[in-house]
Amino acid sequence: MTEKVRIIVDKDKCYLCGGCAGVCPSLAIRVSSSKWEFFQDKCISCRICVTACPVGALEAEVVEGRA
Amino acid sequence: MSEIMKYDVVVVGAGIAGPIVARNVAKEGYSVLLIDKKPAIGAPKQCAEGINISVFEKHDIPYDKRFINREIYGARLYSPSGYTLEMRYNRVSGVILERKVFDKMLAFYAARAGADVLPRTEATDVIRKDGKIIGIKAKKEGEPIEIRADILVAADGVESTIARKAGINTYAPLHEFDSAYEYEMLIEGFDPDLIHLWFGNNVAPRGYVWVFPKDEDRANVGIGINSDNPMTAKHYLDKWLKENNIAFKKILEVNVGIVPVGGFLRELVKDNVLVVGDAARQVNPMHGGGMAEAMEAGTIASKWILEALKEENFELLKNYTTEWWEKDGKRLERVLRVRKVVEHLTDEDLDVFIQTLSGIDAEKIAGGHYSEVIKALLKQPKVLMSPRRITLLKELL
Repeated sequence: MTEKVRIIVDKDKCYLCGGCAGVCPSLAIRVSSSKWEFFQDKCISCRICVTACPVGALEAEVVEGRA
Repeated sequence: MSEIMKYDVVVVGAGIAGPIVARNVAKEGYSVLLIDKKPAIGAPKQCAEGINISVFEKHDIPYDKRFINREIYGARLYSPSGYTLEMRYNRVSGVILERKVFDKMLAFYAARAGADVLPRTEATDVIRKDGKIIGIKAKKEGEPIEIRADILVAADGVESTIARKAGINTYAPLHEFDSAYEYEMLIEGFDPDLIHLWFGNNVAPRGYVWVFPKDEDRANVGIGINSDNPMTAKHYLDKWLKENNIAFKKILEVNVGIVPVGGFLRELVKDNVLVVGDAARQVNPMHGGGMAEAMEAGTIASKWILEALKEENFELLKNYTTEWWEKDGKRLERVLRVRKVVEHLTDEDLDVFIQTLSGIDAEKIAGGHYSEVIKALLKQPKVLMSPRRITLLKELL
């Protein structure tokens, strides 16, 4: 099974474009005009947001071993 | 207790579709609120800013030089080995906009028609009462507010937060998106009367690199690639610029975004909530442009909002789904089929097709009217010798 992850943003790279929130299947990311927010309880650890980011501003950090 | 505002219609998102809806509905005397989370409507943009000249008349938008950077007379396409295909007209075919002025002016037209407009106001959730959506919760400069409205329009872009909170499943798999990255920069050596597009699996997987001139020596230089690509859009654009010895040290703006290019939201209305523009994935899947599509959707949506309000019958809103699919959906589905074939082309295929096709052919393909073109291509020797190319092309017939 997939590992449980936490998504981390590099604020200096992020443009707050909202793309990650758009591709997230579970509404685990919210992007306002001034900040990027992650909701661990909603995240399904698919890492789609990490792949989609046009500038590579996201990273997945493993928080637990195998589920 | 948060402030409560009351309107006939609330529109979330002041990009392209939102202000068109707000303007059209307010013009008929109904109360409309248009909100946007950004402090300045139109900035930052997620757009290459090119649009066909026909939209101004069609959607009753003034041809105002304040938001038109440059008039364009056609396009030139480049294949991986350098074959080119040119479409050049003797009249203006499109323009490169300045979105930060254009979007603001669209919101201005909405406000002038009677709508209220609030930037730095972010919708956070919908409000439900007895199972019915009666408005949205928002933050206006950080202060919580409630906006009650009979009809909600989700024009909130690719994130489509409000549509999703309203229970409309706008989700699509990652393969159905493109990731885009763009510099507005000084650049020379490309005919500034044309837009320029480069194709190739090493150049821009599934997408293309574009140069959209805003001046003789200034352009939007960008790229779109499949979002499930392991490398970033930025990586591919910088690589292309370096390989082509194009200096990129005179940069005026950097823009980033994700574009839905893999199909369209089937049900555009749920009860009293309508979804328009990028939020409904109403984008041309071939070139990734969505402004004209957003205008079209906004126009159709506003027509049925007005009918529903006049007749006090919200069932009529569903006609937006039906009419959109008849008018624009059918055409875009055909374009999507082409895109899905193009996706499988090798660099050699791209060379052959770009070498063989004429400008008129390319235009027909981009518009979804391609069957004659495909039939002609199927007679080409380089196509006839390749069973794979024949299979790919026949999928389109």
